Amino acid sequence: MNDFELNTTISNLKNLRETDLSSFDGVYLGNIYCRLFEQNFLERLDDLKEGIQRVKDAGLLAYVTTYAAPRNSFLPKLRKVLEVASSANADAVEAHNLGVLRIAHEEFPGLPIHVGGFANVYTDSGAAVLEEHGARRITPNYELSLEEIDELAHGANLPTEILVHGKMPLGISDYCFLLDYEEKWGVNCPTLCQLPLFVKRDTWAMRSVGKGIMSGKDVCMLEHLPRLVASGHRTFRIEAAYETPAYRKEVGGVYREAIAAALSKGLYSVADRWWATVREHAPVGLCNGFYFGKTGMEYLGAESGMLTPFTLHATAVE
Amino acid sequence: MELLAPAGSLDMLRVAVENGADSIYVGPRGWSRRRDAFELPDDAIRESVRIAHAGGAKLRIAVNTNMQSRELPMLLERMATYVSWDVDGAIMTDVGAIAKVHEQFPFLTIHASIGANILNNEDVRFYRSIGVRQVVADTKLTLNELASRKSDIDVGIEVLIHSNKCYTYLGKCWMSPYHRLERTVDPFGKDLFKGSPNRGGLDHRVCLESWELYQGAQLLEPRVALKNDAFFLVDDIPKLIDLGVHCLKIQGREYSVPLVGRIVRFYRELIDSYRARPQGEPFDLAPWKNRLSSIQSWRDEERSQSTAVLLAEARQPVAARSSG
Repeated sequence: MNDFELNTTISNLKNLRETDLSSFDGVYLGNIYCRLFEQNFLERLDDLKEGIQRVKDAGLLAYVTTYAAPRNSFLPKLRKVLEVASSANADAVEAHNLGVLRIAHEEFPGLPIHVGGFANVYTDSGAAVLEEHGARRITPNYELSLEEIDELAHGANLPTEILVHGKMPLGISDYCFLLDYEEKWGVNCPTLCQLPLFVKRDTWAMRSVGKGIMSGKDVCMLEHLPRLVASGHRTFRIEAAYETPAYRKEVGGVYREAIAAALSKGLYSVADRWWATVREHAPVGLCNGFYFGKTGMEYLGAESGMLTPFTLHATAVE
Repeated sequence: MELLAPAGSLDMLRVAVENGADSIYVGPRGWSRRRDAFELPDDAIRESVRIAHAGGAKLRIAVNTNMQSRELPMLLERMATYVSWDVDGAIMTDVGAIAKVHEQFPFLTIHASIGANILNNEDVRFYRSIGVRQVVADTKLTLNELASRKSDIDVGIEVLIHSNKCYTYLGKCWMSPYHRLERTVDPFGKDLFKGSPNRGGLDHRVCLESWELYQGAQLLEPRVALKNDAFFLVDDIPKLIDLGVHCLKIQGREYSVPLVGRIVRFYRELIDSYRARPQGEPFDLAPWKNRLSSIQSWRDEERSQSTAVLLAEARQPVAARSSG
């Protein structure tokens, strides 16, 4: 049995079939941003059923995510999604919305619930309230530092999931501005948002997926895995809803190896080939998100020529 | 139904009361969704309660940041003080803080802030179950969605009538601190999280930057807008009144005092005129729209000036973490 969990996100069956999942322990199925995302698991219940089965047949944990910003009109479909998740024995559903959490808890009491990053869990008291409403795992809001996450995890006594790599969600909209360009570019919804699009201004960049906006840089915690492991974190996500199968396979492979190394007793260092792989898949660069209490697009670590907090601590102890 | 007005200063509060607001909201420094310049120190909060109550208005306290776990005891201490000063309600976001405040002060009306981003009826039921009595509707909701909420659930509904509709859902956006976040701890130990609207109130409005759109290295569009429109809901106000919403809310603690006075007066008179019309008579909105247009220009000018300042600030280097 693994002593950690590495999971990722996949939006549709086509992508699931094309992805080598050998580096992962679990998969979140579905696209949280848009109902029109191409063949979104959350709109195609037969695909969802097949997806859950496929993941379970591979010996992995099958999770079903749900929309990040569901309006009333989304709820009938989401209830059906929860029904499928329950009947197909999904290992958990992920709720980013507290209304969906409530439905899952009250109407599908056997279904474990993970609370997603858009649910805005900032405090241990908030996590405790959600635990009373059925939450079994929490992804704290992405704005929290590791210090705050550790406080939250300690105070709430709920396992936390940490995004260790990928484009960090920065916002969600009800409006897809990319649709304005369908005719001009000759590319239509639902494939439009799968183009590698970035809004940029000078040194600023964000990845746009129409109704969603994400960090332009990839959050990368490769250097800081020992810090995460030392704090007791064991569940890690590579965010890849809009990435290619190659991204999942190669970046997933790096993290599988790196987490195992971080958990071993030996000296941990980031292999050059790991750097090469994550850099190759991050055209705008790397960042640490908010984990060190800094501006989200900054990178802190030896890679930037700066000592990491973990290294500083280790040096002081020596 | 009440008209709720903002107060970023005691002067603004007086003007809002004089111009007919039924209730006013203020934010204690460091604890609400506005930068500290538009929040009030505690002595001014106490004075706010006195002025509002003397003018026949209610005073709500906005403590709607997403705080740190360790800051919650501080909030509860402050709430005890504000409750002892007779505040009429608290506007809040964090579910843990809401549950604790409700547990300690069960008689206090808790309003779920716009930052809670409550989007569907089941969401509303969740917040009701932890002690919330009124819910601020997200700016993107339709009249049908509000009507369904009103008919299905025993909850007070608040609607923003003079505000901006962001590209993203409010409370579900951290674009601003991704570009600049400054950590400053105030003398009371509150981290101000400057740059994070969810946590500290200062929003650099980076969504309003003149963005270029690239596919890989190829420039596709030299200027794309992440849509952000002002709205004033003049057309909808009669419908909202007929629907029975509980509160119409004006946003704008950062505007000038005379502008807020004029906005409050405008909506007060519009609401009163509509309610005083003879039953069954049509209500002509044309003169109200004309009157609003000059307010709108004034407001747009103030907002574009503040946006330019915020975007310029976003480019400034971040100083080392400091205690204030």
